[in-house]
Amino acid sequence: MFSDGTAISLEGISKRYYLRSQRPTDLKTTVLHLPSFLWRDSNRKAFWALDDVSFTVQRGESIGIVGPNGSGKSTLLKIMADLARPTCGKINVNGRISALLELGAGFHPQITGRENAILNAVLLGLTRREAGQVLPDIIAFSELGDFIDEPMRTYSSGMYIRLGFSVAVHVHADVLLVDEVLAVGDAEFQQKCFDHIEKLRAKGVTIVLVSHDLGSVTRFCERAVLLHHGQVQVEGASQPVVHEYLSRIAAVLGHAVSS
Amino acid sequence: MLFLLTTRELKLKYQDTMLGFVWSVIKPLLLGLVLYVILSHVAKIQTDIPYQLVLLPALFPWSWFQTSALMATPAIANNGNLIKKVHFPRYVLPFATVANNMVHFLLTIPIIMIIVLVSGFRPNYTWLIGIPLLTLVELVLLLGTVLIVSAIDVYFRDLEHLLDVFLNLAFYMTPIIYPISALGRYRNVALINPMASLIEAWRNLFARNELPTPVDLWPCIVFAVAAVLIGSFVFGRLEKGFADVL
Repeated sequence: MFSDGTAISLEGISKRYYLRSQRPTDLKTTVLHLPSFLWRDSNRKAFWALDDVSFTVQRGESIGIVGPNGSGKSTLLKIMADLARPTCGKINVNGRISALLELGAGFHPQITGRENAILNAVLLGLTRREAGQVLPDIIAFSELGDFIDEPMRTYSSGMYIRLGFSVAVHVHADVLLVDEVLAVGDAEFQQKCFDHIEKLRAKGVTIVLVSHDLGSVTRFCERAVLLHHGQVQVEGASQPVVHEYLSRIAAVLGHAVSS
Repeated sequence: MLFLLTTRELKLKYQDTMLGFVWSVIKPLLLGLVLYVILSHVAKIQTDIPYQLVLLPALFPWSWFQTSALMATPAIANNGNLIKKVHFPRYVLPFATVANNMVHFLLTIPIIMIIVLVSGFRPNYTWLIGIPLLTLVELVLLLGTVLIVSAIDVYFRDLEHLLDVFLNLAFYMTPIIYPISALGRYRNVALINPMASLIEAWRNLFARNELPTPVDLWPCIVFAVAAVLIGSFVFGRLEKGFADVL
């Protein structure tokens, strides 16, 4: 399975969404649009969030995905995490994936941090026994102390994030997908997160990082991909890719100023 | 995972209430009492066995079915955030609801037992075989049903309201407040309803110590197996789009 050393391979991945306004939502419009709805008439307005994206990520590699808002970064992560299916194209992922798309998704405010941590770890793919084994590490990393046995509704948003991050990085993933979640928590905890991800990377965990913080992309990732309008614009070593992205932004801004 | 989600639901339900789990027992009992007084003493329904033995052994298993179906229908649709952010088998959400309600139902069996004893009847060994058997049949029927409805509900949220009305209607079409014998020659028509034969089997078990035969239960078993097969297919098809629609 790991013989070719590829962690993720994407071949011609495209994702089409239909715009909500075009979808019949009430009875009258449904009836009026029934013919076109049934025959899949192409009148419906399609939006291609991803358009023929291909690249591979090697095992143990860190890759950054950059691009403006709406360029398809998060959709791409969702497809990698198998949360959404591509409209066409082929994706291959080797190993267990842990996706930090939103820290603490699935936490329930009425039960304690400890109960939430176990449930969340199991949702992320551990067995109950494994979850019990890593629980002390999760609690220690989150630094929540005695608060771990309080209901989560009493937590501050910082505490919420701490627990969410702690769970996500302790599920022994082979591939870690990180979407913009490092920009949370206080500076100290942020540094701790970075250090921990660095440690995971040293252990051979593959990391895909989506971020607008271009500094952390160049610091963390050997390679980067620049997405725009759902297409791969540039791919290569992170420094030149980020540089290219910045010069494009500069060009757009310069254009706006001159006109 | 199913176990954790189910215990979470159970914990959440009566959190911060004084009576806690006692509510699981009190609520169906009060509903049963109201129906009993009205139907037996006001409407004066005549039955061959005491009316409480017609009503309660049928009402509690029905409540399990109705409540589970109603609560599980939006189980996927209401958890959009979880579906979009975390990868896990989606069917555990409706299944946990069914399991949660099953626990509540099992807690009401001692009440049935007490009512049976107070009415001067004696439970025997048939209960030990019948309760697990009928629970299993109803569980399979429910799991298949909630697979279908919870998946469709993501795309068609009117289903929740439709089902609510339909189940209220089904309450009267199923022999719950009356024995199936009261239907006379329409008996066979009523048996098309998979819950009819099941409810009748529950009643015969609790009130008469009679074990169901495969012949009695076949409409329900056929429906249950069909629901699971169709449900797995429908759910498998529709779950691909959950994250896109929610």
